Amino acid sequence: MRLSSTRKARAIVVALAAGSLVLTACGGNNGGGDGKDNSNTQDDAAAQSKPVEFGDAEASKGPAEPIKGAKKGGTIRVYQESDFTHLDPGQIYVSDAGQLSSLIHRGLTTYKQDDEGGLTVVGDLATDSGTTEDDGKSWKFTLKDGVKDSDGDEITSKDLRHTIERRYAKFQTEGPTFIQEWLSGSGTTYRKALPDGPYEGKHLPDSVLETPDDKTIIFKFKTARPDLPQALTMPGYAVVPEAKDTKEKYTNGPVALGPYKIKEFKRGKGMQLEKNEHWDADTDPMRHQFVDGWNITYNHSRADQTKRIMSDRGEAKDSIQLSGSVDTPQVKKVVEDPEISKRTIQGYQPYVWQLNMNMDRIKDKRVRDAITHALPQKAILRPDGGAYGGEPAGGLLAPTLPGYDKSFDPYDKLKKPNGDLEKAKELLKEAGKEGMTLVYGHAAEPHRTEQAVIVEKALEKAGFKVEKKDIPGSAWYETVGKVDNKLDIYMTGWGQDWPSATTVVPVLYHGGNIADGKSNYSHIDDKKVNEQIDKALEITDPEEAQKEWVKIHEYIVEEINPAAPMYYTKQLQVYGSNVGGARYGQVKSYIDLTRLYLKS
Amino acid sequence: MLRFLVRRVLGASVILLLISAVTFFLFFAAPGDPALLACGKNCTPDALTIIRENLGLDKSIPHQYWLFLSGIFTGRDFAIGHCDAPCLGVSFNDRTMVWDTIIDRLPVTVSLTVGGLIIFLTLGIGAGLLAAAKKGTMVDKAASSTSLVLSSLQIYFIGPVVLGAVVYSTGWLDAPQYNEFFDGPMAWAAGLLIPWVVMSLIFTAQYTRMTRAMMIEQLQEDHVRTARAKGMGSKYVFFRYAWRGAMVPIVTILGMDLGGMLGGAVVTEMTFGLAGIGRLAVDSVVNVDLPLTMGVMLVGATFILLFNILVDAAYAFIDPRVRLS
Amino acid sequence: MTSPSQADLIAGNGTTDGESDPPKKGKSTSSDDLVGRSPGQLMWTRFKRDRTGVIAGCVVIFFFVIAALAPVIAKLYGKNPYTLYSQEDYSLLDEYGYPTGNAGGISADFWFGIEPNMGRDIFTQLLYGMRTSLYTALVVAVLAALTGVIIGVTAGYMGGKVDYWLSRFTDFVMAFPSQLFLISMTPVITAIFVDPQKETPVHIRFFAIVGILWVLGWMGMARLVRSQTLSLREREYVDAARVSGASSARILRKELLPNLQSTILIQASYMLPSAILTIAFASFVGVGFQEPTPDWGRMFATAGRIYEDNPMYMLFPGVAMVIFILAFNLFGDSVRDAIDPKAGR
Repeated sequence: MRLSSTRKARAIVVALAAGSLVLTACGGNNGGGDGKDNSNTQDDAAAQSKPVEFGDAEASKGPAEPIKGAKKGGTIRVYQESDFTHLDPGQIYVSDAGQLSSLIHRGLTTYKQDDEGGLTVVGDLATDSGTTEDDGKSWKFTLKDGVKDSDGDEITSKDLRHTIERRYAKFQTEGPTFIQEWLSGSGTTYRKALPDGPYEGKHLPDSVLETPDDKTIIFKFKTARPDLPQALTMPGYAVVPEAKDTKEKYTNGPVALGPYKIKEFKRGKGMQLEKNEHWDADTDPMRHQFVDGWNITYNHSRADQTKRIMSDRGEAKDSIQLSGSVDTPQVKKVVEDPEISKRTIQGYQPYVWQLNMNMDRIKDKRVRDAITHALPQKAILRPDGGAYGGEPAGGLLAPTLPGYDKSFDPYDKLKKPNGDLEKAKELLKEAGKEGMTLVYGHAAEPHRTEQAVIVEKALEKAGFKVEKKDIPGSAWYETVGKVDNKLDIYMTGWGQDWPSATTVVPVLYHGGNIADGKSNYSHIDDKKVNEQIDKALEITDPEEAQKEWVKIHEYIVEEINPAAPMYYTKQLQVYGSNVGGARYGQVKSYIDLTRLYLKS
Repeated sequence: MLRFLVRRVLGASVILLLISAVTFFLFFAAPGDPALLACGKNCTPDALTIIRENLGLDKSIPHQYWLFLSGIFTGRDFAIGHCDAPCLGVSFNDRTMVWDTIIDRLPVTVSLTVGGLIIFLTLGIGAGLLAAAKKGTMVDKAASSTSLVLSSLQIYFIGPVVLGAVVYSTGWLDAPQYNEFFDGPMAWAAGLLIPWVVMSLIFTAQYTRMTRAMMIEQLQEDHVRTARAKGMGSKYVFFRYAWRGAMVPIVTILGMDLGGMLGGAVVTEMTFGLAGIGRLAVDSVVNVDLPLTMGVMLVGATFILLFNILVDAAYAFIDPRVRLS
Repeated sequence: MTSPSQADLIAGNGTTDGESDPPKKGKSTSSDDLVGRSPGQLMWTRFKRDRTGVIAGCVVIFFFVIAALAPVIAKLYGKNPYTLYSQEDYSLLDEYGYPTGNAGGISADFWFGIEPNMGRDIFTQLLYGMRTSLYTALVVAVLAALTGVIIGVTAGYMGGKVDYWLSRFTDFVMAFPSQLFLISMTPVITAIFVDPQKETPVHIRFFAIVGILWVLGWMGMARLVRSQTLSLREREYVDAARVSGASSARILRKELLPNLQSTILIQASYMLPSAILTIAFASFVGVGFQEPTPDWGRMFATAGRIYEDNPMYMLFPGVAMVIFILAFNLFGDSVRDAIDPKAGR
């Protein structure tokens, strides 16, 4: 999953990730005034690096586990920076809408988070997390009884089929495409299987997607797809009932299956949620319905959100940040004031920022190594949040991935977070490329521009010349995602879609993914890497696969170095003093909305 | 009067047409692919083509301009739905109708303007008149020097200072926020109080200075002196003669200020985090959302032209010497 | 421009659309009543008597001088606005990116403190930033004033069709929402002239900003000069010159321009501060000069974000701005008083 370039966009990112991290999330930690870095470290993250579990029918039953001291009633106030781009589940691949979707949408499966932060995939609308009898080539899900949409109409397997099939329609351009590609062919070829979606009366054949009765749906793949239950948890695959689908317009008024439904929605201004009377707690394994409603208003900059909630006055007592984080300049105050810092949630996000070195243009590894050594990660991180916004990275895999090795640091980025200019100069001289010009692309955002200045200064000291090229933030990934992007170096962020290297390594480093709109930004196309990735993808045993991915990752970083590791990002959000039940949601990497209540 | 209005409205329409043409061709002549900006996450060449079709970008630029123009009068059909006249196109960024977005944001800007206007006109003109009447006294000096200092302030400087002082550190007032007027006038006024006051600080100073200068000038005019010489009461002369004369330039400037403010009080909106037209304009520029920028520009220009006409019409009422021909 | 300076900009005159000229403004027609010493000499004597005005004038000049001498001052002071000092001394910034020292890192080494996150020197940033803003504004004001005078005189003197079309053109440009045009056009114009492979050179940004402000800034002057010229054209002495066979060029140069001087000067005294504020506005919104070019207006944008935890960063640019505009207003008032004592202050 791609991390958007903008600061705001940190907010607009899909955070479907994480499984394995455990942090001092609930209650945050009380940073004293000593200025020491009290942000949680990788030890916390990696401490319980356990694989995701799959829950049985018992674990998938509702109602959700009760929360001690939780009360009913009241309205939670939400300060949000901008409008949700999409409410149509099929178009949701970004985290602001993804966050909201945990209140209004439901899918076949979902993650249940335990008190230690461990995750279990359980059935949401399905009775369990899915059953397979042929090692993942086909998957069967059975619907729970009595699941209704907010109009009171019962959900059937026809609606599930419709949900998948509408993802083939032309107007569905933005959501995830995993399941479509698995079912009907990779890239965009899957669209040919059902060019108009289900809207013209055509359907996928039973050999691909079968609904033998009103309660059952069976997915049939050509190869084993052990990750299907996890893919189905994505908000992009939440259910759209066939009778309620208004195609393009659905994004303005989706029907709700979750505990809340949209009462009022004013584009550009705000949204009010009220209780969905037809939501039945007995069918839902993880959501609660404590408060009566949610009052969301937009156009609160991160600074404004933070300051309002920090002040904790009036309605701000009942307020939360949905997908915004603490504004960077306020971090110090939030962390160092004990009263405020106990109202925060913190955790690792699944994103790794890397500085891609376009391998079509920078062919000499010594030059790439020189760049890698020259960069002062610690300073570069500052405009993006400093110590509480992230921490310097040694490799290209996030601490949230199982198998992460925190001692992996082949370029001494952790030992020398301010860069090693001597080493860089030496390498550049060796390569005979002193004075080489590098075109550095960056998003035209204040903090990215500041980072660009820091990167430029460091590289110039190391003996490069730098041309900075600013690109509109909204077109950032689309621009660098072009094969012929005419740039030498550029920073991108990526996080797993679910906690497995399969959603990271092949996407970013397989030569087959060099194409316009694909995510192999550094254009690495190494025969050995490609072969190993292809082999690893066929391994069905998760633990064995994990070992293989670690090996491939180490080889990529050490032997090829297509991208300099920059930093891992962290989440820091603040909430009002009257809000109870707050904890870091591992899956979304934001505050967990499903369990919030008001204390009075 | 009617002929005057018709002529001016026609003239304004021609100007609007020209503005739309100039901006349209400049925008779309610029390098960069608008479809790329609208493409979102999985931007494959396939998705790009679909988006180009959806947004009508596969046509030539003059053709697109024609579609844009005719859309204003007849509405347009996009893949995402019908866009009713007056249709200003569809946002690249979130695929909403530009017209709807602008109409949505307009009340914020109008509220800001109207509230600020009442404060700064009353205070500014009042203080200006007072200073002019008491020219040379302490009152005049106090009013003049205060307004001189205040008019040297900038909203982006004084705004955060005021916010920090009365909102975030003391909590005397709530942070500025827009509430619908019809949901409760009190909440509406309370939410906008700080921006109004800060905006007014500076504009009040401007209008005090201007009113004072105009009044002093008018009081020296021949017809005013004659009136006084004829033995008319000084209050009568002051308001009936001098003020009438001073109003003409004040109304002119007010018209221009209003036209500009309604087109987006950019700095005020940005400083106080209010989502009006000005903020919309800045956001649309940041996101390279060309249709939205176009729309905001046209609406802004319309306001300016509208107030030009209103001001000229107002002259007829203020100053009998002006004939609307 | 809807910036508050607008009121000032046109405060001196009430001209509106061509066809419905409001009554003439006494202000601008008065200086030619004076006889004896040249208006310039008279003006100067009157100006010298106004102590506030002289002091304010000195302050304004002081700003321009230190801005011009920024590189020299920076050299003497031993810092420059580009070096990231926090990358040379890691102890300057704390883990949050704020200066470790008190009061925004003010010290003997860094007189105005250190910029958060980046660790640059604020004193030289401000000096260079003022330089950027003031001199860009100066160029804009000069260009716009010249254009305004040329168009105004031409329209006023030629009359007829020429006047009609020039006036319509003026109306047309005036109808542009200038703030909106400025923010939306600057990136577009810049993009047109820049090779997508290359960093946008500072001079391109400079030309784009100057160009747009120039295009949007001359109309007030043009209208004023036009209406003034219109009335001067009908004066007897101009008729006399014409009858005695003087060429148009001579009439323009010898008869009209000297009498337009004070109008032009007054209007120009509004244009310069307005241009400075507009440039600051552009930078505040984010379309002005970009990193790493130091810029006054952008400092406010940064300061607005961080000012609570680091009020010092807001203090210096803010106070400098207030002093400068205040001095300029005072100075402008005295200049106008000197030109036109009848306005009476």
